[in-house]
Amino acid sequence: MITIFDCGETTLSRRGLLGAATLAGLAGAGVSTQLAYAAPGYTGDTLVVLSLHGGFDGLSALAPIGDPDYYKARPNIGVPKAQVIAGDGTFGLHPALAPLLPLWKSGQLAGVHAVGQSNPTRSHFAAMEAMENAAPGTSIRSGWLERMLGASGATGALAGVSVGHAMPNRLFAGPTPSVSMSSVDKFTLAGESAKRPMAAALRTMYADAPVLQSAPALAADSALTATTAVRGTTYTPAATYPATELGNALKDVARLIKAKVGLATAAVDCGDWDMHEGLGTAVKGQRMHDNLTDLAQALAAFAADLGPEGMKSVTLLTISEFGRRVQENGSRGADHGHGNAMLLLGGGVKGGKVYAKWPGLAPGKLVAGDLAATTDYRSVIGEILQKRCGFGSLSQVFPSVAPSTFGLVSAR
Amino acid sequence: MTTRRTLLAAGAATAVATAVATAVAAPAVAATAPLDAATLVGADPIAHLVRRATFGPTQESLAEARKLGAAAWLDRQLDPAKIADPVCDELMTRLPLAGMSIAGVRGKIAKNSYDGFKQLGRAAVARAAWSNRQLFETTVAFFANHLHVAAPSSQTWDSRCDYDAQVIRKHAFGRFADMLKASMKHPAMLTYLDNRSSTKSHPNENYARELMELHTVGLIYSEADVAAGARLLTGLTVDKTNGTYLYDPKAHVTGAVSILGFKHANATAAVGEAAALAFADHLAKHPATAQRLATKLCQRFVADVAPASLVTKLAKVYLDNDTAIKPVLKALFTSPEFAAAIGQKTRTPLEDLTATIRTLGLGPEKSGQQLLDALYNGLVNAGNAPFRWAPPNGYPDVAAAWASPSGFLMRCNNHLNLAAGWYPSWFTRPADLLKSLVPTLPGTYGALVDALAVRLIGAKLPAQHTAAVLSVAGKLPTSPLTASDKSLAGHAPYLIALVLDAPSFQVR
Repeated sequence: MITIFDCGETTLSRRGLLGAATLAGLAGAGVSTQLAYAAPGYTGDTLVVLSLHGGFDGLSALAPIGDPDYYKARPNIGVPKAQVIAGDGTFGLHPALAPLLPLWKSGQLAGVHAVGQSNPTRSHFAAMEAMENAAPGTSIRSGWLERMLGASGATGALAGVSVGHAMPNRLFAGPTPSVSMSSVDKFTLAGESAKRPMAAALRTMYADAPVLQSAPALAADSALTATTAVRGTTYTPAATYPATELGNALKDVARLIKAKVGLATAAVDCGDWDMHEGLGTAVKGQRMHDNLTDLAQALAAFAADLGPEGMKSVTLLTISEFGRRVQENGSRGADHGHGNAMLLLGGGVKGGKVYAKWPGLAPGKLVAGDLAATTDYRSVIGEILQKRCGFGSLSQVFPSVAPSTFGLVSAR
Repeated sequence: MTTRRTLLAAGAATAVATAVATAVAAPAVAATAPLDAATLVGADPIAHLVRRATFGPTQESLAEARKLGAAAWLDRQLDPAKIADPVCDELMTRLPLAGMSIAGVRGKIAKNSYDGFKQLGRAAVARAAWSNRQLFETTVAFFANHLHVAAPSSQTWDSRCDYDAQVIRKHAFGRFADMLKASMKHPAMLTYLDNRSSTKSHPNENYARELMELHTVGLIYSEADVAAGARLLTGLTVDKTNGTYLYDPKAHVTGAVSILGFKHANATAAVGEAAALAFADHLAKHPATAQRLATKLCQRFVADVAPASLVTKLAKVYLDNDTAIKPVLKALFTSPEFAAAIGQKTRTPLEDLTATIRTLGLGPEKSGQQLLDALYNGLVNAGNAPFRWAPPNGYPDVAAAWASPSGFLMRCNNHLNLAAGWYPSWFTRPADLLKSLVPTLPGTYGALVDALAVRLIGAKLPAQHTAAVLSVAGKLPTSPLTASDKSLAGHAPYLIALVLDAPSFQVR
């Protein structure tokens, strides 16, 4: 499954227009483009958010092997205890995550289990919208990553980027300018030359256009200057990425990080986790196994490309709209559920373990057939925002949410 | 922490002032309030109707609508069988799998081949660009997106083309209840939403949920409704031997159900299929479905924020006409709310591409399908290729969902590629594109851009936009133009492309 958007309104305001116009104006007025896109203003980790759309099955990825009710509910698709590749007897890592084993062992990779939203729904579309908005019960309609970016102090044209799709990422919905690109190399304007200044003409035409048209046009304009500079040097990654959408997207994220363009946060979609049918057993050729392999290979390449030094300033986390039902269905799959797992990867992560207030899978402990969510996913992100991204208060990003006290990451 | 927002806001006024003061080649950046979308495209109600009811006006479609008048043109479009469509008919002979039956496809291509998906996607692009039955095609696109089955999607290699022909195209101008029931009995839908593998002991909930949430009533169901719906839908499956629809009574869960006001004894497996279809009928005629379809049709054809008064009106027309679609469309396009919504929609990437092809007067390639391949693949990159949206909710239909920097650049790059004839290169093109658009050259460059804009968009650009277009040629609106101007041919593709890049052309 790929990026999901529904018909909800996205607020694009006059402020967004002015924001984009400012950057365009600076570049156009001959101010150093270096200054325009690499100005300091944010000194925290680059926060990479990987959205696992469709309903990631945390019960397979970080299998609760110590819970006997797990195998009772999933006689055909439970990950056998003998097959997990790491863990602590309570939880075990799915064998398809093998490419990540070195990072797990070196303590850069952690899991958080029994995570979920405060107002669960089993509708993909409602759950995703709520997860991206992350402010249920309020009148806030922006995306939480947009709010993070807005409050971060980051000022560059490439401070907030979603990579892999031409469409805007709803995590960035709202007035703070962000950039969506299918890839760094494809983010170009045809015909632009000193002789024919197409970009300048577009800048003029969009300066007074309705905001729905002008905001992306002006954001594209300022980002063009920055990405043109990035493309000025060829990029040779220090690792081999898998030739997948996710591999390509993470390669571009690493490229932007290494180019020091001031990337505060990047959003990447990694889809197709909706496995009502053929989720399967923990062997090659089964859907969950193969998806996890793709995910693990791309993440391992990303970490290797950045290297230990680069990873010191990067935290990557995964989110998904809901987990899957504990009980398997008749199609060797699992229907929509609730409680789920998140993965955390980064130099500051205190990894090699799964953090959880584990509620158990005994029938009496389930909520409507689902793993209970004992930890709000926003509190997990909140702890990272405070310790790794330099946020004091979370109020601008997640109103009324307290950070988790797991100690998931070390303070910068 | 200093926020990014305050930094930007503080700098904005200075930046605008600086840009104005330092502008040389490009005209000054205006510091005025944004232009109104309606003023960008002009007030002509006929042009408004044609922009909305088609994948982009052509000179011919506009002339026809002006000659017939809005009401008669609409009636003609609502009776597509009477509209000759020779260009499209010929193109479809090159794409024989699109629309073919399951048995036919199985006889032509290997199991799990993508050839059916490929031809289907290209057929949709071809019809959007070149069919004369434009309202039918836009309506088909709407319902294909509403009862969406992604293509490609696994295990539908043989059935997806048939689904398009027998469910969507067959019923798009018929009754929604019939379309919904046809989708419920189609292997493509039963496969895509996993009902084919749902079992008596552990029903698969996927289809039951989306049938209510996406196809009909919306998010008013309970989890108990989903569970009951999943039980009711067991047995609707696919014949493993020939890939056609099959009702398997042995797999059906019997027992009374009560879902959203629908009650059925469902007493024996023999009545299971009839009970499921009765449930579909109930859902199709549910007031919440009427409301939802009316809202979505308004979002498609009127405005991103559906006018509440029109939604109410259309929902009533839908229910009063036993879910017939044509009366709803007629009520929509003749409503005062529609007339008042000039400029309130933004083109999606697909619409931007088809509108560009249609307004430039580009024809399909003489033979083969290299052009259709290239157009389709470009739409894949733009995230908007027909049927390609992976999840079952279909492509979003509001401007904000497409308002991305990357998407903006793709539109602009496309305009220049098509205007210059660089790529794709297989179109049938006028010998001299500029001359075909503006047969008589006016005396100034400003008047040339005016003429281009009127021809391509239907209205002159705002003066500052005309000046911006000309800046790439190093000209002013007052610069004289003569037929012997040797630089004109070189400038032409860029001027045409920039007119299409203007905000006015993004508005539908």
